[in-house]
Amino acid sequence: MKVKTWKKFSQRWLALLKGFGTILFKELKELIRDPKILLGMIIVPLVMFPVLGLVLGYAVETAQEQAQKATLLVVDNDGGNWSQALIGNLSVAINVAVVESITPQQVVDQELLGKYNSTQFIEIPFGFSQNMSRHTSGDLSVIAIVNVYGVFQGGSVFSDIGSAGVTSLVTSFNRIIAPNVLYTTQSSIIKGEIQEGVDPSTLSGLMISQSIAFPITIMIMLTYSMQIAATSVAMEKEEKTLETLLTVPVDRFSILMGKLSSTIIVAGIAAVTVMLGYNYMLGSITLGMPSSMSVDLVGLGLVPSAFGYLLLGISLFFTLLSGLALAVIMSAFAEDVRGATALVGYIYPLIFIPSMVLMYLDVNALPLALRAVLFAIPYSQPIIASKAVIMNDYATVVFGIIYVAAFTIVIMYIASRLFATEKILTAKLKFRRRGRNRKAEP
Amino acid sequence: MGLAVGAEALVKQFGNIRALDGLSFNMKEGEIFGLIGPNGAGKTTALRIISTLILPTSGSVEIFGLDPVSQAGEVRRIISYLPEEAGAYRNLSGWEYLEFMAKFNTKNSGELKVMIDEAAKISGLSDRLKDKAKTYSKGMKRRLLVARALMSRPKLAVLDEPASGLDVLHAHHVREIIKTYVKEYGVTVLLSSHNMLEVEYLCDRVALLHKGKIVVEGKPSELKSRYESENLEEVFAKVVGFA
Repeated sequence: MKVKTWKKFSQRWLALLKGFGTILFKELKELIRDPKILLGMIIVPLVMFPVLGLVLGYAVETAQEQAQKATLLVVDNDGGNWSQALIGNLSVAINVAVVESITPQQVVDQELLGKYNSTQFIEIPFGFSQNMSRHTSGDLSVIAIVNVYGVFQGGSVFSDIGSAGVTSLVTSFNRIIAPNVLYTTQSSIIKGEIQEGVDPSTLSGLMISQSIAFPITIMIMLTYSMQIAATSVAMEKEEKTLETLLTVPVDRFSILMGKLSSTIIVAGIAAVTVMLGYNYMLGSITLGMPSSMSVDLVGLGLVPSAFGYLLLGISLFFTLLSGLALAVIMSAFAEDVRGATALVGYIYPLIFIPSMVLMYLDVNALPLALRAVLFAIPYSQPIIASKAVIMNDYATVVFGIIYVAAFTIVIMYIASRLFATEKILTAKLKFRRRGRNRKAEP
Repeated sequence: MGLAVGAEALVKQFGNIRALDGLSFNMKEGEIFGLIGPNGAGKTTALRIISTLILPTSGSVEIFGLDPVSQAGEVRRIISYLPEEAGAYRNLSGWEYLEFMAKFNTKNSGELKVMIDEAAKISGLSDRLKDKAKTYSKGMKRRLLVARALMSRPKLAVLDEPASGLDVLHAHHVREIIKTYVKEYGVTVLLSSHNMLEVEYLCDRVALLHKGKIVVEGKPSELKSRYESENLEEVFAKVVGFA
């Protein structure tokens, strides 16, 4: 009896496995033979991540090189032996330029940093040598202070490499002399104003939270809305309603505009929603200070102005529009919704790569060729704009908007041409057929 | 009666495939004219050119004196096209679908109402028109689409396999709709079918298509007697050399 039951049970499982195997084999065959899926799911990630790795590796290298080549401006307001000793010690590791008898704000106002091609300076205040001497003579309660000032440039993960280097040089001098004699204070130069006690590296760390959050939001929004737009034409094809629609007495451009306008409205709402969320996020970031004083980004002028928000919104809107129009065009080449979503996937690397690169890098610190590539990709514009509006660099944002608007017009023109001809019905990407033809050729 | 459609040496090439190879025919106003032939004979391609969906590679067509290539907009105002594989918007009710399509033909609310009421009558779907199209059976959907094609009383209705995929009863209903409508409103109908019996029942004249060309043309009764055949299927087989 038991043997019979076991036989029945195993037969049933064998039958199940056989059915499962047949279906699995057929599914895999279909997936592998679909070049769109193969390209989108396997080849694109295989290319995308190495490209990202190369760019990021290059970025770290560039930041380190710049830090090594940079000149450190030293404001010597002390003029004593100890200040000379510190400057001598710094000179071993880094190029040093010394100015005397000048206040930190004057350094900023006279644009001395630009003159010495530097982004930071240290001030050795009056009384430094005296304090050092008293400490080394045995009065351990006396300490000496060096003030470090760094220009805040908008923030990226690797932007602190230089400032961290200077602080560590000062600390190593401290270790040579006595364990606890030398202390540094950190201040930031934000838009030409010195913000005393605001550490540039802490500030950069805080700003990174927004420089990551914004690109991620853009990535999600663009990919999601492009998926929806891509299905609008593909759905008409799949549901067999497109042919009828194309023979009714209405201008083909009206059909295209009708389809795009619905997505434009969604894009507009999305752009406003992102702006509101972004504004809230920036407003809620507070910077905890060592002196238990709390300064927020609004107070530091590190949130966009109303005009900045407007420009950022416009940039986002045009980028969304161009993305949606491109998605509609691509979906015209697909026969069904699955094909359309796979085709739109080809655009994703153009969204993901600049977003991820700009999370880590300051676009202005990149070499011209790489900067040109990033600017040429329309989907990087809102991310570039989000950093530029904080630094009041409106020209970059306006240029980006003009570029994306021009790109959008070209895309819309192509879309309207496609809708006006029979290509909207007959256009298909024929990877497989071409492959077969090639094989057939002698 | 005037000329409704005149096709002259139509050729359509899709890559290496020659879908139409010098197709020529004329049909008169108020006539039901059938293009018949097996799958791949070129019927749908011919109807798509006449409906302004695709352009001929060479040759010309005239629809009530209009050229569907250079006057596509004007042609779309006087024709109505029912594709073989057509669908309705899944999330619109039958009524909403008819209203959506009718709005392309008239902006006058009175005319719009007349048009939709007419379509409701033709379709015979009565209260089911309030339901979403995704709940319809294949037969109901086809009736809705035939009603949509005829409701605007076009000068030329281009119907590709009007009873495609329908069971006997639904197919009969659709054929009756077409016949009645043509009689009542004098609409000219150009239809395609590979169902020879359907064509025999509906059409005043037919053209047999084979490999993109018309091989024989005439009234069904004339063709049957000329080829001493019991039905058009036999005629076709004899003409193309299968019998």
